Amino acid sequence: MSFVERRRFLWLLFLIGLGLIAVVANATTFARLRLEDLAQQASAVARLRCLTTESVREQDEIWTETRFEVLETAKGFLPGLVAVRTLGGRAGHLQSHVDGAPRFRPGEEVYLFLWGTPEQPYRVLGWAQGTFRIARNPKTGIESITQDSAGMAVFDPATRSFRHGAFRNVPVPLFRARLRKAIESADSR
Amino acid sequence: MKTPRRKISAAILALLFAHFSAESARGYSFNQVVPDVRQPPALSGGSACPVRAHRRTAPDSIAVRWSTALGTSPTTILTQDQTAAGRLNEIELAIQQSLGAWTGVTGSALTPASLAPLTRTASTTACGSDGLNAICFGQADGAFTPGVLAFTRVITADRIGEQVGSSALSAEPGEILDADIYFDPNDPRIAYATPQALASSPAAYDLESLLTHELGHFFGFSHSAVWSAILFPYAPAPGTFANARPTSQQPDAVLSDDDRTGLRALYPDAANTLHTGTIAGRVLPANPLSLPTSPPGVTGIFGPQVVALDVSNGAVAAAVIGGWSCSGAGPAQFDGSYLFEHLAAGSGHSYLLYAEPLNGTVDPSSISMATGTLCRNSTSDPGWPPLASCIVPTVNTNFTTRTRPGPLRAGEPPPPRTRSPPGLAGGLRQVHGQGVRPAYCVGNMSWANPVVLMSRKSGVRGGNSAGVRKLMSNW
Repeated sequence: MSFVERRRFLWLLFLIGLGLIAVVANATTFARLRLEDLAQQASAVARLRCLTTESVREQDEIWTETRFEVLETAKGFLPGLVAVRTLGGRAGHLQSHVDGAPRFRPGEEVYLFLWGTPEQPYRVLGWAQGTFRIARNPKTGIESITQDSAGMAVFDPATRSFRHGAFRNVPVPLFRARLRKAIESADSR
Repeated sequence: MKTPRRKISAAILALLFAHFSAESARGYSFNQVVPDVRQPPALSGGSACPVRAHRRTAPDSIAVRWSTALGTSPTTILTQDQTAAGRLNEIELAIQQSLGAWTGVTGSALTPASLAPLTRTASTTACGSDGLNAICFGQADGAFTPGVLAFTRVITADRIGEQVGSSALSAEPGEILDADIYFDPNDPRIAYATPQALASSPAAYDLESLLTHELGHFFGFSHSAVWSAILFPYAPAPGTFANARPTSQQPDAVLSDDDRTGLRALYPDAANTLHTGTIAGRVLPANPLSLPTSPPGVTGIFGPQVVALDVSNGAVAAAVIGGWSCSGAGPAQFDGSYLFEHLAAGSGHSYLLYAEPLNGTVDPSSISMATGTLCRNSTSDPGWPPLASCIVPTVNTNFTTRTRPGPLRAGEPPPPRTRSPPGLAGGLRQVHGQGVRPAYCVGNMSWANPVVLMSRKSGVRGGNSAGVRKLMSNW
């Protein structure tokens, strides 16, 4: 096999590999929501600190209601405290398991894209996709943000292709700039 | 000059290919329930050790119905047969085959006899906490938001004698009393196609693949991060399906070995004499001072994915989420333990192990049902006994570990020390499993082997793991 043929063969292998990735990296039970989509469809976007979580039972369904302190509002109007409901939790002797529903720990800080009305407890828009967790480097004190869906390649119905594009370890100032731009873009639509 | 350049180009190309084609190997996990030890031992079992969510496998013990109330605007389910009866039959066949994938695994106590005959209901509200397992394609639910296509809600009990709606009373803690599978009927951009209709509906999701995945939750699984596993959190691309279609000879063709091993662990069959191997060990930090000080009592890495590769073909035989153990009255101890159960044992079955953090495609949020429910305490449950209390640590996604030899069995000679292949990072040591006798596999690596790739990447962000020293067995 000549060098040119070998090179072609290796490129072919490489492209097949990329093709395989495109097939197997796949979507989820989620459909992709870009940051702009999240910003547009969210009722409110805010940086929140988790205070408490408790399970509530409503119409025989078990929900986890998490109460957050609002630290900063990027979109919408929020009171100082908000409640967010996610499906699943524990009530009495029953435990309701829903894989993929975000869970929060007291003390944890997150940016959430909230969906719903102020009269009802909010829900997290797109579940994992609307959840951006904040981590603080203990050595440098620098805060970064990772989207719960960071690892996934989700299907974009608009382009009929898979996109990664999620946020992973993005410095908070950079995220805020992107968020502000996305909200401005959503407002102008 | 040309030759070295060619070699370098070829090597870079091969590396890139190997990097992109390497399988992300992480494993099955189960939904966990901590029994309520405030109850008498006769109801709770008397132990605060987490138990796996599971079903009874007695004949006809699992009843499933599906709602024939389908979304019509938009049309959610696409079928080849457009007649009313033919449409329903085609959907029902997809459900049957998806159930059959899980009951068709050899060596598991979950068999076709465990299922009652599948039934239909015309109810538009068949899914709900009523004690009746159901699959709904046309039922809206308050949990759906834009971007969420389908989910499964599973209800378990933490003590004996509990009931949901009309379900039978729970006979054991952890028993699944009700499970419902919801598909979002209101998203006009999304459709699902039966296997017969998929070829002509390239924009639709494969109904059978999604159903098989959701039924995994139905039977007690959380997610897996093995890409080929049906319980990988993300569905096949529209127009494609997972793995292979079921056949009468292999009804579980859609599953991966990781799914099968998980099922054998969840529903063990006492008559199974092939899958009897176990491998146990611990993932410990090179520097014990690097362990988190809060919560107290953490003595090992919590939340590593430990992967067992079949040495004969390099395939992922199984992978588990490690980091804890529990015995006696409990509670869970976060000592870095991992345990593989029901691996094929005997001559010809050897495994290579490695560990990696959950910082790749699947992150800790994807397995929160498996890791977040390992503990209860007086904060979560007033009156919880202090001796049965624990706090789940944060999943460690940034660890550096080394391996240590496991204990030798009586009369067993120590495994020979061998030289690490060129390019491997330091810190790798011999370990060996218990119950399964793996072969020594130095030189058995290939470029497609994620161990080699990731070890070469130690300390470098990239691939599926970042800054990781791999654990390997039998070096």
